[in-house]
Amino acid sequence: MLKHFLYLQWKSFTRGAGFATGLAQKILMGFARIYFAAIFASLAFAAFLGVQEELGEDPLPFVSGYLLYAFAFWIVLRYFLQKMPTVHIQPLLVLPISKKRIVRFGLLKTVVSFFNISNLFFFVPFGIILIQQDYNWLGVIGWWIAIGSIILTTNFLNIMLNSVDRILIQVAVLLLGLFALQYFEVFDLTAWTSPLFMAAYDQPLFSLIPLVLLGLTYQWSFTHFKNKLMLDEGTIKPKAEAHRGSDLDWLDRFGRMAIFLRNDIRLIIRNKRARMAVWMGVGFLFYGLIFMSDIYSGSAMTVFAGIFVSGGFLFGFGQYVPSWDSSYYPLMMSQNITYKEYLASKWWLVVVGTLVGVVLSSFYLYFGVDMYLAILAGGVYNLGINAHLVLLSGAYTRIPIDLTANNKAFGDKRSFNLKTILLSVPKLAVPMFLYYVGVLIQSKSFGLILVALTGILGFAFRNLVFGWIEKIYQEEKHKTLQAYKQKNA
Amino acid sequence: MIDITSLSKTYGEQTVLDIDQLHIPTGQTFGLVGNNGAGKTTLFSLMLDLIAPTTGTITNNNIVVQKSEDWKIHTAAFLDENFLIGYLTPEEYFVFIGGLRGIKKEVVHTALESYAAFFHGEVLGQKKYIRDLSKGNQKKVGIVGSLLSNTPLVILDEPFANLDPTTQIRLKNLLKDEASATGKTFLISSHDLQHVTEVSDRIVVLNKGKVVRDEKTSTDTLQELEAFFREQL
Repeated sequence: MLKHFLYLQWKSFTRGAGFATGLAQKILMGFARIYFAAIFASLAFAAFLGVQEELGEDPLPFVSGYLLYAFAFWIVLRYFLQKMPTVHIQPLLVLPISKKRIVRFGLLKTVVSFFNISNLFFFVPFGIILIQQDYNWLGVIGWWIAIGSIILTTNFLNIMLNSVDRILIQVAVLLLGLFALQYFEVFDLTAWTSPLFMAAYDQPLFSLIPLVLLGLTYQWSFTHFKNKLMLDEGTIKPKAEAHRGSDLDWLDRFGRMAIFLRNDIRLIIRNKRARMAVWMGVGFLFYGLIFMSDIYSGSAMTVFAGIFVSGGFLFGFGQYVPSWDSSYYPLMMSQNITYKEYLASKWWLVVVGTLVGVVLSSFYLYFGVDMYLAILAGGVYNLGINAHLVLLSGAYTRIPIDLTANNKAFGDKRSFNLKTILLSVPKLAVPMFLYYVGVLIQSKSFGLILVALTGILGFAFRNLVFGWIEKIYQEEKHKTLQAYKQKNA
Repeated sequence: MIDITSLSKTYGEQTVLDIDQLHIPTGQTFGLVGNNGAGKTTLFSLMLDLIAPTTGTITNNNIVVQKSEDWKIHTAAFLDENFLIGYLTPEEYFVFIGGLRGIKKEVVHTALESYAAFFHGEVLGQKKYIRDLSKGNQKKVGIVGSLLSNTPLVILDEPFANLDPTTQIRLKNLLKDEASATGKTFLISSHDLQHVTEVSDRIVVLNKGKVVRDEKTSTDTLQELEAFFREQL
């Protein structure tokens, strides 16, 4: 049976839209994975030797103590980055395959995710070092089982987070609460968790507890999906949504552009996937906080942060123009719409999103002017250069977005994934380089001015660049239409 | 209205469409008939520049479709559900389509009243998104959207499919009325020989990408067509 599922999976991969670009990206992602695996593996050695020699502590309890942070971080990272695998269920339902098998396959597919495998690269070498250093090998195995179970537990928990909003809120509140307790030093969680994981080492039988926990979480998600494997339960086909959004008449003052803007705003309000893009934008407003520490002061990383703080929406939404319209692209191409109008409305949306980001991020002024200046420079660069770049890359992305996939259990709701990050690299590396050059030539402020000036320059050539992008869209039109036909890739 | 010269479309080795000459005069209701794979949708997609022809040209009102986009101004089309915007309500969709043609919102709403019978109380005022409508009701939305546009040329791919029997009859009347009242040119493809002969002035039969019959409709047309397709058995 597994053979049949894998066969379907392989076919959908090789016959999907933009298989070639998909492959190139997969290869790039492959390298990224090898890189991370190497980092994790070397981290294992560092964790052991560093803790033992530099801190003079026993590495095992030390690492065990920080595992809680690692797992909490892992859950958050998973939620935002791990793609839920898509299983095309409907045609399978009436075939002689039990529902159990369908669900089991969907769940098992998530286990082979990078987010699970990568952990092996840390914990396996770390454990082997432990055994070589005459730690009790049976204990290490118990420790492995405990950790492995918890990692897989977060895997299945993440599936539930993706599928049931109520659970997402509960877990978010729980995590924030624990973080607050720790942060305000109400009590020290790590003091608790270290013995918890050490118990599995001291008495390997204790590792059965997390194993049971894993079993329960698996069973939970299994029953959840098995019971919902009905056409009208929202697992396969999304449920009808209540009507939201008004007439948006106030947009009329924008003239003909209002027709498009109105649609785009409705697109965002009424489709979960597009809404996620906006939330990513909001989330990235706080991204700069990570870089407030003195280590980053004046480094090119502040520009990196500045680009992201103002450009969260630009990357989350703009990156997928025109894919948002993929399900009705033939309509757009046969109505009397010129590419200029179409692109201009998307451009305005991205520009307004960026401006709002710049204004909202003014709270950084509270922490001093340095970060906000970087955000301003990044914002100008986003407006002048990146707003054009996202539209340009859109002409080549050609990944159809199935807006109706938003409520599907095994559907992909993430509008932000590793692929988007990879696509963002050229949009980030150039301003960082400019800043770096500016610092080398004169000073930090000159670096920021250089970044902002480049943005303004891009702004000045807007019409020229627009004409150019328009031509490319025109040339790519038939290919794009062709690619959008393959919806379920 | 439409002029086709040595048009062909080839995928790899297979030629799916090969039309030497075809002229569709203004005001004609043009019926296109053929089995699956005959090239009906391909022909319409080529007319809308949704796919590029391998050879030849199509001119729409003396505009070469592959060269300029100006044909869009006087052309409206509904081929399939890819011409609908799922997250809009039908009303919003009509206002959008109308807006693109410079038709004011109020005018759109007034015009919709005349289609109330066609919708049969199932589409308008439901506060439902188009993606949540049934296939048949989606089709109604698409058809009305292209009629509302008030363009001299309307292209409809299989408009009768998925509609309930009553609505099929209503659509026939609607198309006949619109054609005689406004002088619009209609291009309609269909598998339903009876419906299409009833509304069309002229029937063209495509078979394996080639025009095999081309004639004005008369009282005998339906029988001749049935005989033709029986021969294909």
